[in-house]
Amino acid sequence: MAERGQYLFAVARGLDAQQLGDVPGLRDATIQVLEHRDLQAVTCSVDLAEFGEEALRRNLESLPWLEEVARAHDDVVQATALVATTAPMRLVTICSDEASVRARLDEWYDGLQTALDRVEGCHEWSVKAFADLAPDDGAESGPRDTSGAAYLARKRARANDKQAAADHAAQLADTVHHELGTRARAVRRLAPQDPRLADFQGTMILNGAYLVDDDSRDSFRSAAEDLARRYPDAGIDVRGPWPPYSFATLD
Amino acid sequence: MSESPNAGITSRPYSAPLGQSDRPHPSNLADILERVLDKGIVIAGDIRVNLLDIELLTIRIRLLVVSVDKAQEMGIDWWRNDPMLSTTAQGLVEENRQLRERLEELEEGSGSSSEEGSSG
Repeated sequence: MAERGQYLFAVARGLDAQQLGDVPGLRDATIQVLEHRDLQAVTCSVDLAEFGEEALRRNLESLPWLEEVARAHDDVVQATALVATTAPMRLVTICSDEASVRARLDEWYDGLQTALDRVEGCHEWSVKAFADLAPDDGAESGPRDTSGAAYLARKRARANDKQAAADHAAQLADTVHHELGTRARAVRRLAPQDPRLADFQGTMILNGAYLVDDDSRDSFRSAAEDLARRYPDAGIDVRGPWPPYSFATLD
Repeated sequence: MSESPNAGITSRPYSAPLGQSDRPHPSNLADILERVLDKGIVIAGDIRVNLLDIELLTIRIRLLVVSVDKAQEMGIDWWRNDPMLSTTAQGLVEENRQLRERLEELEEGSGSSSEEGSSG
């Protein structure tokens, strides 16, 4: 017989299982909501032939596998966060059975409550800004002075331009982050993403996460729109509302 | 849904603009991986995995070094059309090919000692 485990997506407070609708679990397993004290664990049953320790070591090395599971995980967490206060779990948090999930909820009960308190009534918003920091080679107009001194002068000027552009971009990122921060309950600056995974052009100068009160959503968004108008070159990109991945943490 | 139209806020191609679907998703892979691998609550389950082994950095390197072909199959091939990166991408394809050859050599010759002590 195949061994099974319980995959834990999120811990929620105030979740009515019916509200989750028909979001599928992993490999189309049914989502289960375990009630424990005043918390709900959102889980599904997984085959340990795929999600056991040895299998995971292998599977996590496969980007297609990882992407599929990450998206399914995120779908369930999103569905939960739409209807309840939610603390998302790290990918592949797996217990052996229901009793073990309950034991974890007891063990971490206070921390989970604190994390849920912190994000109650809030969602996470992501705001990114970009800059084109690539030097504009060969765009000069007019005849080119080919002397060595002119070459060095051009090279120096280009280096100065590049530095100035970088300074300007850093300052812009700080401004955007600061202004959005005044409308958020909490903020985090995440590392810029890699263009090959995230599909953007230029350099990501800001990858900000903002915990925004649902009541302040409109004000946060209009602040972002205002910044986008003021700095059209920054390509300000706003995403949300997301589950509070960056803010529901155990201390 | 009552999301206000927001198309003007994004001025560069970055997957779907805000407010297009009922369930706003972090739809690009980097957003999702960043959050599900890097963020979220860490509670040790009964199945022990070390996600540090596959931190984003590792994935990125792997994507570049091992899976340029794979990435293209998956549609992560936009850099081919990006003038700024296309030369780099060509270089990476070549580097990738060389690295794979090297890897095969190493795997074949893992019994021999042509590369003593160089891997930690």
